[in-house]
Amino acid sequence: MPSLKDIKNQINSVGSTKKITSAMKMVAASKLRRSQEKAEAARPYSSRLEEMLVSLASSVASGDGIIKLLTGTGNDQNYVIIPVSADRGLCGGFNSSINRETFKLVKSLEKDGKKVELMPVGKKSRDFFNRVMKDQILESFVDLNVSQSGYDSALQVSNKLQELFFEGKFDKCILVFNKFKSVISQEVTQQQLIPLDVSNSPKEENPDDNVVKAIYDYEPDEETILKDLLPKNVSIQIFKVLLESDAGEHGARMAAMDNATRNAGEMIDSLTLKYNRTRQAFITKELIEIISGAESV
Amino acid sequence: MATISFDLVSPESLIFNDDVGMIIIPGKDGDLGVLPGHSKIMSSLRPGRVMVYGEDKNLLKSFFVSGGFTEINPEKCIVLAESVDEMSELEKSLVEKEIQELESKDSEDSKDKLYIAKKKIEALNSSFY
Repeated sequence: MPSLKDIKNQINSVGSTKKITSAMKMVAASKLRRSQEKAEAARPYSSRLEEMLVSLASSVASGDGIIKLLTGTGNDQNYVIIPVSADRGLCGGFNSSINRETFKLVKSLEKDGKKVELMPVGKKSRDFFNRVMKDQILESFVDLNVSQSGYDSALQVSNKLQELFFEGKFDKCILVFNKFKSVISQEVTQQQLIPLDVSNSPKEENPDDNVVKAIYDYEPDEETILKDLLPKNVSIQIFKVLLESDAGEHGARMAAMDNATRNAGEMIDSLTLKYNRTRQAFITKELIEIISGAESV
Repeated sequence: MATISFDLVSPESLIFNDDVGMIIIPGKDGDLGVLPGHSKIMSSLRPGRVMVYGEDKNLLKSFFVSGGFTEINPEKCIVLAESVDEMSELEKSLVEKEIQELESKDSEDSKDKLYIAKKKIEALNSSFY
């Protein structure tokens, strides 16, 4: 049976853990608000860009060079998968669900005879894939810190990705990331980045709108604009995903820390109960000793 | 006088959003002066100044954009810029320092940056704004 002092120590240590977790929860909550604002602010740009792209995409059927970002290389043999995880842990299943999903995707693609390579973003997925499939990692990005360095961090990933694409290293690129559904729930999502999946984007519902769109003048011309637009779109998509994942990370950490704080509270309660019982038992024992000692006199 | 609604958007935020009298945009093939009722145009941009004028043609704001796209229709003008600096906040000495740093490097990336920085100086030296 643990002594009174042992239990007291245990209560103290759980208490300080609780303090840490509740502080982390608070920090995550304030960071979450900020990164949500950032994600919100990035939305007008990406939705505008997508609109422009959709109206342009129909006018160019095929082509070489940059247009390949839209039309693809005509092959689907070589894949690059970008799992987007956090740099830090202690955020529940946030990182492990990304790693698990990516791992499954890689295995299923390999079963179909495709060649798969990885470009992990974030320390947690880099470390994981360094252990399980080290030779398939093309490049990894850690400490991107999207909430501070902003768009530049997305450019880093995007430039490298496009460089590899135009060298003909791969045909298709898929992003695996946590979609920010709400503060407490994130959904692991796969998004095809290259070639661009235009059919996925929401179509104009109003037929009049399409007629209006069709009479735009283009300067210089459609193809030149598209050539500028496509690489930018890749960067913007990555930027959007990074922001979303960042917001998701803080949300997940907040939920995880909230749970941990609550668990610590429960643990303290039960330990306090145990402490009091033990102390009472001790007192009772001493009393019995005193009484029986007095009786025997 | 009529006004046209103008949005200036960067990847990180919505920078300007108001009804204005006129906007001058650095289009790839030359500057575009956009007045209310402009015909529909989509254009890409070169690095340069976006100048925003009020209804009585007084200069409201002036921005430096490093490139991007614009979409214009009779009621609305949207500029999607890659990076945006307000002209009044640009420091000539800082940009010159950046140019010096970039000139010492020799990579594809720094060349682009150098070009943009040089355009910045050009815009800063320009007499009218």
